[in-house]
Amino acid sequence: MKTLSRSIEITIISAEDLRIHGRPIKNNAFVAVQTASDATRSTSVDTTGGNYPSWNEMLELPLPREAQFVRVEVQCRTSSGTKAVAGAHVPVSDFAGGWIPDGYLTFLSYRLRKLNGERNGIINLSIRVKGKGDVASSMDGTYFSSSSSSSCGGGGGGGGVAIGVPVMWGKESRIN
Amino acid sequence: MGNCCSDVAGGRAAVGGTAASHHDPASGTAANDAVDLFLKYRGYNGLFTQIELSLSASNLRDMDVLSKSDPIAVVYTKGKDGKLEELGRTEVVLNSLNPAWITKLSITYHFEVVQNLVFYVYDVDTQFQSIPVKTLKLEEQQLIGEASCTLSEIVTKPTHSLTLSLMNRKESSKSNRSSHLGDLTIHAEECIGSKILTEVILRCSDLEYKDLFSRSDPFLVISKIVESGNPIPVCKTEVKKNDLNPKWNSIFLSIQQVGSKDNPLLIECFNFNSNGRHDLLGKVQKSLAELEKLQYNKQGECLFLPTVVGNNYQNKVLKSQLFVEKFSESIHRTFLDYIAGGCELNFMVAIDFTASNGNPRLPDSLHYIDPSGRPNAYQRAILEVGEVLQFYDSDKKFPAWGFGARPIDGPVSHCFNLNGSNYQPEVEGIQGIMMAYTSALYNVSLAGPTLFGPVINNAAVIASQAVATSQQKYFVLLIITDGVITDLQETKDALVKASDLPLSILIVGVGGADFKEMEVLDADKGDRLENYAGRVATRDIVQFVPFRDVQSGEISIVQSLLAELPTQFLTYMWTREAHLDS
Repeated sequence: MKTLSRSIEITIISAEDLRIHGRPIKNNAFVAVQTASDATRSTSVDTTGGNYPSWNEMLELPLPREAQFVRVEVQCRTSSGTKAVAGAHVPVSDFAGGWIPDGYLTFLSYRLRKLNGERNGIINLSIRVKGKGDVASSMDGTYFSSSSSSSCGGGGGGGGVAIGVPVMWGKESRIN
Repeated sequence: MGNCCSDVAGGRAAVGGTAASHHDPASGTAANDAVDLFLKYRGYNGLFTQIELSLSASNLRDMDVLSKSDPIAVVYTKGKDGKLEELGRTEVVLNSLNPAWITKLSITYHFEVVQNLVFYVYDVDTQFQSIPVKTLKLEEQQLIGEASCTLSEIVTKPTHSLTLSLMNRKESSKSNRSSHLGDLTIHAEECIGSKILTEVILRCSDLEYKDLFSRSDPFLVISKIVESGNPIPVCKTEVKKNDLNPKWNSIFLSIQQVGSKDNPLLIECFNFNSNGRHDLLGKVQKSLAELEKLQYNKQGECLFLPTVVGNNYQNKVLKSQLFVEKFSESIHRTFLDYIAGGCELNFMVAIDFTASNGNPRLPDSLHYIDPSGRPNAYQRAILEVGEVLQFYDSDKKFPAWGFGARPIDGPVSHCFNLNGSNYQPEVEGIQGIMMAYTSALYNVSLAGPTLFGPVINNAAVIASQAVATSQQKYFVLLIITDGVITDLQETKDALVKASDLPLSILIVGVGGADFKEMEVLDADKGDRLENYAGRVATRDIVQFVPFRDVQSGEISIVQSLLAELPTQFLTYMWTREAHLDS
């Protein structure tokens, strides 16, 4: 039984208002994207945008069947190595499955959070899924679950996926 | 609309240009209220295009005995009061019943207004044929027939052509037979200048220090110089912090905005001050053609600063220079191109049926149906928006919902079909909306609270279905409400989810409530919307405006809302195309 492979084309467009220790970063930010423990790609470094960097760079990564999130992390290249600035989790349900047709280009933006959970800017990107395959988690073909619009987290067609704000993100390792 | 003083973040953002967020669709550049109001005050509104009309006719009725008719066509625009104003007339074609007139008539297409046109075709008497067409007295000619239509009807046809049958009102009232007077064909062509978009990247060097302890925060304002001498701002760049050699993001200018490639433009460099009093760092006057030359020659142009010398101003030439890093022209599909290509604008409406409107049977209620036929605020808002949008929808079937009421024998519903059906929400035409509205008024009991979430989600479902089936449709949801919403977070969640869909939401507030809280939904006035899970709205799809009575002659505030629709539509289309190409 051949497993169908899917990949995503993710274009990291830009980020806004990035800070380290409360102060806007100077330069040399780049973005690392991870879909599985062994699948990571990074953009090149932005040298001119300051704390509003823009990359407009497309990265292609495999998307495993069971993947439910794509991790996106903004890092900064400093003289002493790389420093994590902030990151976000992009739920697969936001760009695949449900009403979204195959190959549809979705434009998304997410709130970035530091390792300790504090807000730190916004990231803008676009994603397109390539290849065929089933989407993980119980996705039905509707735009949103037929229950009334309740404000409980994790609603909206995500099946059993809970989406929330990590309180202690420091426990997770930084994407290398 | 709303706050007049621009917030600092909004003041720093780039504004103006055509779809300035072209390459950065999700950055949500906040518009500067002050510049916005300024531009509107000067009459610079929204998207408008120059159109040329060419006329031809066939099978005209023969009016002359010995030879064929010598027809001329005259075009009038009809105002809201019914008054006709001549737009222009063609030349006289001798001896033909199938004339193709060469003279083209220019008209400015305004998306947000219903432009009524009336055409008269006359047969010119032989004795008048040698005199200039302009001086012809039309009442002395023989009228062959007339026809009327709206400009939107012509431009929404895929061929940009519309054929109408000529009629003669005086004759048809006398005889019962309808005599064939001929057909008139009108073809509309967008002027090529509208399609050219110029991308310019500007850079300055050696700007002067203006702030005491830091470098300047420069930004540029580009204005076009008109005959009256006062420059009209066309666009401004974003603010570069702490930079004396700034290079700004791309500016997109269309020929419409600047007049022509040779029109002089005033480029002023200011130092941003949070108190709003920006210092002028220098200025230069160049046309687009001259900027192109600067880029080609890789030269810089020195800025000059008017300084007071005695009683006069003298222009002091500075060391600071302006460079043009990029100058490229591209042809873009315009709004009318998309419409002609089959793209439709689908109108949807949602009406507030909460109890705060008042008992519909009492005259002081916002929902009171006046027996004399005078429309209430809800009806006026529906008419103003619907009358313009209906031409862009091919099947004229509009989903219509109500919210905040209890239909007979049911719990409170926050999204019920106005037509009373359980299965589908559509009604036929604007008349259909009006009828469904009045009948719903007497079949539901007003309740509450005011929730937008369900209505927005329903509209988003329809839009997403169109996307899933690759239909070229763009949806416009009009929500008319009298009060402030109670489900702010849910509405934000619904908006964030819908922000990547081909959907624009116009919210009109009627009645006297204080709508300040609603303005947070309109990203022009604040931050980008964020949902509970951390996703941020891709683009600003909401526009909110309080409904005000207009005095005659003024631009209705709802019209100014509509004027921004083509730009929202184009931004959606162009960003997708740009990413598909790259």
